[in-house]
Amino acid sequence: MRTFISGLTFLLLWFAAQGQAILPPLLFAGMDGEHILDDGSSLPFWGYGYSLDGFITLPAPLLTYTQGTNNSLSFINESPEGHTIHLHGLDVNQNNDGVPSTSFTVMPNQQASYAFNAQHTGTYFYHCHVTTTLHLTMGMYGMILITRPDGTLWEEGPAYDRDIDLLFSDLEVEVNLDPTGAFPFHTIRPNYFMVNGLSGNSLTANSDVAAAVPGERVALRLGSMAYSKVSCTFPDEWNAQLVMSDGRPLPEAMSPGVLDIYPGERYTVLIDAPESQETNLSAEFLSMVNGSSLSTQSVWLNTSLVQVKGEPAAPTWSCFPNPVSERLHANLPEGNWRIADGMGRFHSSGLHTGGTWSVNVEGWPSGIYFLHHTGGQSAKFFVN
Amino acid sequence: MWSIRLGVRFKTYTRTVTRKKRNLLLMKWSLTFGLMVLMGTTSGQDLVVAAGTWDAQGEPHPALRILFMGEEFGPNAIIDLPENTAIPSSISNLDSVDHHLLIQDVEWEGINIPAGASVDFEWPALDMGSYRYHLIGDRGQYLQASGVVRVGIDSDHKFVWHLADAQAAWMDSVALGVPLDLMNYAPDYFTINEAHFPYTLEDSLALIELQLGDTAVISVANSGQMDHVLHFHGFHVQVLHSSRSPERLGWMKDSMPIRKGEGLTLELVVDQIGTYPVHDHNLIAVTNAGFYPGGMLTQIIVTP
Repeated sequence: MRTFISGLTFLLLWFAAQGQAILPPLLFAGMDGEHILDDGSSLPFWGYGYSLDGFITLPAPLLTYTQGTNNSLSFINESPEGHTIHLHGLDVNQNNDGVPSTSFTVMPNQQASYAFNAQHTGTYFYHCHVTTTLHLTMGMYGMILITRPDGTLWEEGPAYDRDIDLLFSDLEVEVNLDPTGAFPFHTIRPNYFMVNGLSGNSLTANSDVAAAVPGERVALRLGSMAYSKVSCTFPDEWNAQLVMSDGRPLPEAMSPGVLDIYPGERYTVLIDAPESQETNLSAEFLSMVNGSSLSTQSVWLNTSLVQVKGEPAAPTWSCFPNPVSERLHANLPEGNWRIADGMGRFHSSGLHTGGTWSVNVEGWPSGIYFLHHTGGQSAKFFVN
Repeated sequence: MWSIRLGVRFKTYTRTVTRKKRNLLLMKWSLTFGLMVLMGTTSGQDLVVAAGTWDAQGEPHPALRILFMGEEFGPNAIIDLPENTAIPSSISNLDSVDHHLLIQDVEWEGINIPAGASVDFEWPALDMGSYRYHLIGDRGQYLQASGVVRVGIDSDHKFVWHLADAQAAWMDSVALGVPLDLMNYAPDYFTINEAHFPYTLEDSLALIELQLGDTAVISVANSGQMDHVLHFHGFHVQVLHSSRSPERLGWMKDSMPIRKGEGLTLELVVDQIGTYPVHDHNLIAVTNAGFYPGGMLTQIIVTP
């Protein structure tokens, strides 16, 4: 990574000398991630991360765009193998499709950009399309969200207050431990099941995976990169309404009942955040091969945001400087951390293994952010 | 992991027959039925249940075929019917056991076809759409005796994707009457119109070739033992009909689930040129015996 930064600095200076501006790639691809499982063990994974952060996450960072904008998603491949980014559901042209045989592969130390127009609001994915069966189960995927600035789901569509993104995925632990032993690929059978990279008690205990203020109209952005079918059940008091799928409004809103989400599908479900904090979405992972139940994950809706905002619990650690414009530091204890923006949207996460923790916030949109630690404590900071 | 997988492989091996035995089986299989098919007369939609083969990377396995009378080889027949009209037909059963022909997801009791008999029957009057027909029972299911019924599909650009998954060794076992361990199904081939990628690109019904601005209709039916989900690169498709989920009419999808036994009719409008894959996003299904890429994968090619 240091080599890359040095090279990038040279490139920036060169382009500055030519009177041109160049931005660093937003993302990089890596194959050296370590993900902490619910039992505390560490599991290798491959993935994408923000170049400015210098680490990859599982899932990859949520990317958000505004409807109608023309965008260029750039990434550099910092790994020893070829990768791509397929913009799943964005209907890009052949050259930007991220399929090695029909567009191009980004080889190690190469950089590439994918152009697309954010024509339709909704939920999408980005993922690697090189030996897809293996690279996806290794973790190379993230969610894309396209929204409107006026707070409606689509033009003349329903208004809402908050997005909550929930990305369902799974993996076979043995494959991640030994990717070269993954062949034959048709025998991959997932045995670890995640929502936004969290599972079991780690998911249940994490109060910021799904958080809202009581009474808010919330758009649940649900999508699956799993190898299983995910059957979602919603509590009655959420008044769930299924309104979009795959980035398009449905002809008519409908009660989702038990919503089956197949690999690659996305759905938007509008809910009313209730007063009660005792409600949860149940996500049952079912085998695509024989339909057997593999795991059930619970996503609890944290509706204590008003109270938290009024009386935040003082963490035993602190982050500084605050406000921050370059690098944020914190004396975090070891463990998983996660940053969400002021709307509760996932921004980035990772594992802190000791020493002083820091993250580069240059280029982040100005505003309030929350740094959460697995110990359950949170700190607010402001990026200017 | 390897110990688990080797265990599965050993179990699979014990269920299969050797290559030599399979070749003998195929010879006997073909001789029994081959001449009998040729004895039939061509009469349009009249059908025959006969022995055939199903290829896994060039290696034939015994299969039951439902062919138009007079046809000797090929994938199962595509039945075209007019909308809401009962159509008379007949079917001859050249197999050694009785069969029962059904159309999935419709109210029709089907037709019994005793071994060696020829039966006149009427296809039921059906709404516009695409459906799966099949012979019920393990022999019909695992020997791939199923296909697509298209009802009232009116388009200049019609395509058919008959999806299936198979554990190839099971076809040998079923042909020999060896019981299957149904709880341990482990498919190793995933097909469109009985071909796996790259052979899907040699099938003019599986490979979609269009000109910019064309509108195509794709009839899809799932004859596999699993649900599948087709992901379209470059395009969304609109659901014109589902035999299982009528509430999905009009949905625009790029990732379209098709449940076991379901029939779907999809409209595709191509608004950009290029070559775009369409594949199962259950990613174990884009392999051939574990090799990637393969399986349930085809392309949409759009020219100016």
